[in-house]
Amino acid sequence: MAAGRVGKHESRMAYLFISPAMFLFFVFMVVPVGMALFISFTNYDVLSRSDWIGLANYERLIGDYIFWVSFKNVLIFTVIYVPAIVILSCLIALLVNQKKPGMKFFRTMYYMPTVTSAVAASTVWLWLLNPEYGLVNELLSYIGIVGPAWLAQTNTALLSIVVITLWMTVGSNMIIYLAGLQGVPDHLYESAKIDGANKVQRFYYVTWPMLKPVTFFVSTMSIIMALQLFDQAYVLTQGGPANSTKTVVYHIYNMGFNQLQMGYASAQAFILAIVLVVFTFVNLKMNRDGANI
Amino acid sequence: MQKVKRLSVLCILVLFVTVVSACGGNNGSTGNTNNSEDSSNPSTENTTGAEKTKVTFWGDWGGEGAKQFETMADAFNASQDKYEVEYVVQEDMITKFLTSSRSGQAPDIMFWDRWRTSLYAPKGVLHPIDDFVTEDGIDQNDFYEEALKELSYKDSLYGLPITVDARALFYNKTLFEEKGLTPPTTWEELRHAARELTVWDGDKLERAGFSFGPWEYNMYHWQAGGEMITEDGQTGFNTEAGKQALQLWDQLLNEDKVYKLGFEQGMGEGTDAFVTGKVAMLNTGPWMISTYKKYGDELDFGVVDMPAGPGGKASVMGGFGLVIPEASQEKEGAWAFLKWWTANPENALLWAKTSFNIPGNKKAEEDPFFQEDPYLKPFLDILDYAQIRPRHPGYSIMETDALIPNLELFLNGDQSIEDALEKAEKQGNDILKNNQLE
Repeated sequence: MAAGRVGKHESRMAYLFISPAMFLFFVFMVVPVGMALFISFTNYDVLSRSDWIGLANYERLIGDYIFWVSFKNVLIFTVIYVPAIVILSCLIALLVNQKKPGMKFFRTMYYMPTVTSAVAASTVWLWLLNPEYGLVNELLSYIGIVGPAWLAQTNTALLSIVVITLWMTVGSNMIIYLAGLQGVPDHLYESAKIDGANKVQRFYYVTWPMLKPVTFFVSTMSIIMALQLFDQAYVLTQGGPANSTKTVVYHIYNMGFNQLQMGYASAQAFILAIVLVVFTFVNLKMNRDGANI
Repeated sequence: MQKVKRLSVLCILVLFVTVVSACGGNNGSTGNTNNSEDSSNPSTENTTGAEKTKVTFWGDWGGEGAKQFETMADAFNASQDKYEVEYVVQEDMITKFLTSSRSGQAPDIMFWDRWRTSLYAPKGVLHPIDDFVTEDGIDQNDFYEEALKELSYKDSLYGLPITVDARALFYNKTLFEEKGLTPPTTWEELRHAARELTVWDGDKLERAGFSFGPWEYNMYHWQAGGEMITEDGQTGFNTEAGKQALQLWDQLLNEDKVYKLGFEQGMGEGTDAFVTGKVAMLNTGPWMISTYKKYGDELDFGVVDMPAGPGGKASVMGGFGLVIPEASQEKEGAWAFLKWWTANPENALLWAKTSFNIPGNKKAEEDPFFQEDPYLKPFLDILDYAQIRPRHPGYSIMETDALIPNLELFLNGDQSIEDALEKAEKQGNDILKNNQLE
């Protein structure tokens, strides 16, 4: 009985503690999402009308060539970017986790791009990737390669954005992995050593499983970021050449704020949200076994 | 223990209450200040005896631009004692305008990118100024007809132009003299000059004779005698004119090899390709004159009329106007300011000299400030034939989503002229259809 009362009291306390956060979540997330869902069934234009038009926005979406092209672009981006960021940030974290002199310097170096604004960094990359005078093609020319016009050609533009985004985001993800690595208890390594495991085996059987929650976190956040790609693509290529770097969020913005078709833009945003949920769910499934998240 | 718990509960409660009240309070307090402003205005006016009605002027120009607008507002305020115009910078002006139109906090007069008229006027958020214009006997012939057209929807006029601009051909005089060339006046001469001026070092382009890009397509299309959007609201590129325009680009890029895609990418103001002599000719507008002049020591440039294509001369006109929102509380005052600025040639000239823009009032342009300026004079001649972009609410997005991507595929060598035009036409018509006003 006494235990029950304490439990009740504790849970009451718990609700009280989380209520401010829940309140804000409700007011600034749940309500707007509900409103956006409603708007997606109307021809709302902010200014003059808001009539119920049923599924018309979703029907139009099926035939919207640009919407599907931009979807294809962000999907390709996600498929290349997410595995790459997981592998890269984990590898770099392993490297800078060693206890050797000068490690702090390297950690700072890798973290630097993260504190740079996306727009400023993109501007520098524009210059680095200039086909005639950029540093990248200049270096390539020393080994006899005539580099492409990276951002001006359909076959290299998206890939360039992937690489630049990797560079910009690897620092923050490395920090998360670093924290994860330092949370792996030493006794596990010791017992693995006693069992005769070599370095690779120790990573495979100890480090990697212990990092599962971190990997899940990093990959989920990266998936969400990748599908909502906007800044870099906008500054670097403005969606070009030939729509090869046009992104869904850019199209939604254009439809909503430039063409005043908020209803249609909301419908697109909902499809994007559904895809995000599906991707996150698949990712959860893939990471579930063995990890307590 | 108990005490600590109670204390923490208290803390949470206090936090919660402050958060909630802050959320509500913000709205309340902003509402309050606005209300008090609105209600106290007449009283403060009475007490100070100034009796000036406040007119709020919104624009999205900050920094230098804001100072230029303030110069105009101050001059207007000093010229009469009925109204007091105040300039307010709104960085995200259009978005703010959208919400303010509904909440009754709209500005009285607004700086307006003219091409937006075809999208906003049909929604009833702009106030037609026809009555004001007839009442005050404003002569519409004083203004560029195309600019007025861009500010109209159906039979109503929604504002007057404060700036006009067009594209002209800029060329590097030093490089032209080296080769003994004169500025081109036709497509053929343009090709010839560009060929002569281009320098290659093996596979590396050292100097581009001429710079162009898919975003300029409309001018070439017009120069070839075509129409971007036909009478019945369809795209007009898949025509003989479209083919001729793209053939010219094909020749410039692949036959004459005077340019390379992405050549100027990433070059900022100081390393601008035209300033550093890496591009010998390009089409651009009057807004670049001051930048190029700044580098006068290393760059000697000239501005000339557009080269004529098989269909004659053509250039695209753009620029800004002033409009009065329907939700404005002080339309009379807004009109007084609008009229003072645009319809009075002296004030239009003051604006031009302050901001180095070409004003929309043609009478102001008879001043030696324009007539004797070798850089501005060619623009005045071009403005006589320059045309605005088609007035279709879906035009701009059709251009960026359907036309330019297909032109890029063509320039990249992935698509023939015929395919590019056919696909641009099909995708373009879809977009126009989806973005027209019901």
